[in-house]
Amino acid sequence: MDRSIIHLNIADFAVAVETNMQPSLRDYPLIIAPQGAPRAVVYDMSNEAYKEGIRKGMPLARAKRINRKIKILPPRFNRYERVMKDLLKKTLVYTPLIESGTLDGHIFLDVTGSGRLFGPSIDVAFKLKKVFTKTFNFDPIWSVATNKLVAKVATRMVKPIGEYIVAPGEEKAFLAPLPIHLIPGLIKTDLIRLAEFNLFYVSQARTLTLEQLQIPFHHRASLIYDRIRGIDPTSVTALCETHSTIQADHEFSDDTNNAALLKKALYLMVEKICRILRVRKLTSAAAKILLSYSDGLQSASKLTLTPSTSNDMTFFKKCVPLLHKAWIRRVRIRHIRLICGKLGPQEAQIELFPQKTKETKQADLILTMDEIRTKFGRDSIKTGLTLTGKTG
Amino acid sequence: MTSNLFIGTSGYSYGEWIDSGFYPDGTHSSNMLNFYTQVFHTTELNYTWYQMPKAPAIERMCAKVPENFKFAAKLTRTMTHEIKKGVWQKEVLLYRQGIEPLIQSKKLLCILIQLPPYFKRSVNYRHYLAALLDELAGLPLAVEFRHDSWADDKVFFELEKRKVTLVSVDEPDLPGLFPRLDVVTNPEFFYIRFHGRNGKGWRSENMQKQFDYDYADRELVEWAATIKTAIMPEARTGGIFFNNHVRGQAPKNALRLITLLSKERHRQKTQKNQKTWTAQSSI
Repeated sequence: MDRSIIHLNIADFAVAVETNMQPSLRDYPLIIAPQGAPRAVVYDMSNEAYKEGIRKGMPLARAKRINRKIKILPPRFNRYERVMKDLLKKTLVYTPLIESGTLDGHIFLDVTGSGRLFGPSIDVAFKLKKVFTKTFNFDPIWSVATNKLVAKVATRMVKPIGEYIVAPGEEKAFLAPLPIHLIPGLIKTDLIRLAEFNLFYVSQARTLTLEQLQIPFHHRASLIYDRIRGIDPTSVTALCETHSTIQADHEFSDDTNNAALLKKALYLMVEKICRILRVRKLTSAAAKILLSYSDGLQSASKLTLTPSTSNDMTFFKKCVPLLHKAWIRRVRIRHIRLICGKLGPQEAQIELFPQKTKETKQADLILTMDEIRTKFGRDSIKTGLTLTGKTG
Repeated sequence: MTSNLFIGTSGYSYGEWIDSGFYPDGTHSSNMLNFYTQVFHTTELNYTWYQMPKAPAIERMCAKVPENFKFAAKLTRTMTHEIKKGVWQKEVLLYRQGIEPLIQSKKLLCILIQLPPYFKRSVNYRHYLAALLDELAGLPLAVEFRHDSWADDKVFFELEKRKVTLVSVDEPDLPGLFPRLDVVTNPEFFYIRFHGRNGKGWRSENMQKQFDYDYADRELVEWAATIKTAIMPEARTGGIFFNNHVRGQAPKNALRLITLLSKERHRQKTQKNQKTWTAQSSI
């Protein structure tokens, strides 16, 4: 059976959130970017600013040269995140299969299985659009298609407002006349190589067989072959899957690139998460660090923890190199997030004759610290690392 | 007297029609129209209410159906439910462009103007409807009211004057809803829509409840007699659509009505030995 995928896209999400808070900004050119940072770039911009030539990722100084009087607001990630959560709550009514970007206003829903309850997918999409408009004052673009790829291209076609329904079986014909850069998943090098062959449209690229594509594109050939034909078997990740994570955040009051402060903040987050894990009798086997810089850009890195753990010290030891891996820019850091995933139960079987190792001694120490904190409060005992300097 | 009668359902792409047995197991959505055309010779295009029709997609759809197949296309919501002053005229132009392939291929049964329940017979709405009908002039039009204030002889007379079809509706007997009537305002064409009589679910804002109704045989027999005696003698062609799509009730009821009308035709033929109509979808 064909799938029914809905894509809701609130264009220029950060701007939409800000203009909802300050309606007087509506219909004027507006930029979301951190102003204090020396090399700040545009995080988001209104459609009016887009029409003036301002683009995401453009240096703020250049954007200011285009329009000297343009209004600039700093990005407020917490606010965007809160709004995204509220939006997701509304969509959950229709299906548990919901996937969203972190703060980008994009939501995918798989409503294949809920047709008998709520009716045709087109009607569900339209209802959600109405709910978003009525409850949040957003006017999302919506599309319905048989997979995420086609649904995403469809919303791109009608941006900034409108809707697009791609009927089952229409995928190939729908994509055929489009410029190839509109196809999600194709990276810059793919597009450059295709342009070298004078292939600028989907229909042109489709004339090549898989074998022909394999010559210039090697292992990426099959992905390109499928994408330009509208084939995308990837599923919509259930919200419960993405929510089976624990995360901690730390926002520096002064943007920093001081390594000691970053490590201290990281340790505090590790402590917080590991305590939750121990209370829930869980361990984590994956970690991800997301750094938000003062210019609004972000970088991330992740690793798998083997074996899984809920030990503060072991966890922290693994996270320090992860922090260095994620920290790829010289720009100061404003916000750090640690996300732990792949949660699983703690080992139930305790060794009969445990040997005293460094790890077991640490585990005992942590358990003792937990007991002290339970009795006397969180700040009653601290590790030496968290005593040094200010975290901001 | 009606010589061409088209009976079908409102839309054809419903996954639950596989479970109900109308479509064979494993039918892909892209193949549903193909199966549908083997049973019915007409359908309503619902999606054109949600989205402005696009000529290339309509053209591809026309190529998939047999030559004698007809589509009734719903007018887009920007001209019925979300009317913007000064903008809707452009929407009419876009709509005309979108459905052009239906006209070119002679597959357009009519344009269905389905008006919302809050579209009452006020001065503003009267003027708007008149202006809309003017803008759409030249196209075969059918107007479906959802408010009983339009059940007035003056309205019927005006539609008659313009040769616009008044849609006869079968829906729950609830206060404020347009009543069940057998008035024919256009000698060229009549139009009947069966929404089901689920009074409980009608205002639930959930299509699965609103259109969940299985017509009893008695109700269809009654309708068959009305169609035969009161409606068909008044118009040359006709379209009948079942909108109670839930659990495959629409195609089941549509097929039953075809059988009833065929029987009626057979009975009349033998009794009176006179030439009557051809129910396209029944033969």
